[in-house]
Amino acid sequence: MENIKIEGMERSPEVDFDFGANVFSLKGESYPEDVTSFFGPVIGKLEEHLGSLSGEKVQFNFELIYFNSSTAKVLMGLFEILDEAAAAGNSVLITWAHEEDDDNMEEMGEEFGEDLENAKFELKKIAV
Amino acid sequence: MLAEEMYNFRGFLQDKGIIFCYSGYMTEEVLTGIGNAIKKKLELENTEKSISKGLFSIFVEQVQNVIRYSAEGAPDLGDEETKELRYGVLTVGKRDEVYFVSCGNLIMQPDVSRLGSSLDHIQNLDKDGLKSLYKETLKGETPEGSKGAGVGFIDIARRAQNFNYDFTKVDDDHSYFCLEAYI
Repeated sequence: MENIKIEGMERSPEVDFDFGANVFSLKGESYPEDVTSFFGPVIGKLEEHLGSLSGEKVQFNFELIYFNSSTAKVLMGLFEILDEAAAAGNSVLITWAHEEDDDNMEEMGEEFGEDLENAKFELKKIAV
Repeated sequence: MLAEEMYNFRGFLQDKGIIFCYSGYMTEEVLTGIGNAIKKKLELENTEKSISKGLFSIFVEQVQNVIRYSAEGAPDLGDEETKELRYGVLTVGKRDEVYFVSCGNLIMQPDVSRLGSSLDHIQNLDKDGLKSLYKETLKGETPEGSKGAGVGFIDIARRAQNFNYDFTKVDDDHSYFCLEAYI
């Protein structure tokens, strides 16, 4: 699958999906006008790709500064997809980086992470 | 006369502690523009990060609620009516050391009771209750109820210290709805 690289904008995050290396990331701010049209296609490709893997090492890095509640819904779905890939026999690591003084973003990460049954989850602090 | 009237209006805003006020159609362009203005304003005032982020996200959810409501709220209505539902007033201010974001817009009469009971429910939940409702809603385990209190209102409740809301009847078909969140 061809790699996806979308530059971060004022209201949408940088998307960097490396399907060859199985390293994926979302960075920046996310409150796009239409979450479905922004995330739908890229997450669709990710889901298709992950479905074809077994016994692989997969890493997904989140480094978000701000996201709105519609994005939160997308993230919840993304965590579920990643956990399914782990359940299917892949070694999945999710990292959630947040600015060190942003307790709310840390808490959000914890909340998403606590439902994971198979994927590994790590919180990281970014120095401000 | 002109200046006096505007000066009085400015005085009214100042008395209410209002730092920023917008009245007009709520659109995505307005959200981007005002959002940046609010961010800059808070940066200039060296507002604590947790407060400025909370305030910004409550602002986004408030405006997107109005946009979404006017888009989905009344599919049978004509353009003019939909536009009226999108006409909002938004204020950001600080009173007694507490920041607030207040937003008002016209809603259809039949939505008053549903919205009111959803907000009542949210208002009475504690931190853990809000968290579980938020997660259930994100997972689609509760009916979203596009016209009622979706995940946006729950998010506001979680980020705010508390919030108040009420309605006032405008005519047989419409009420005016206002929600003020404190950070």
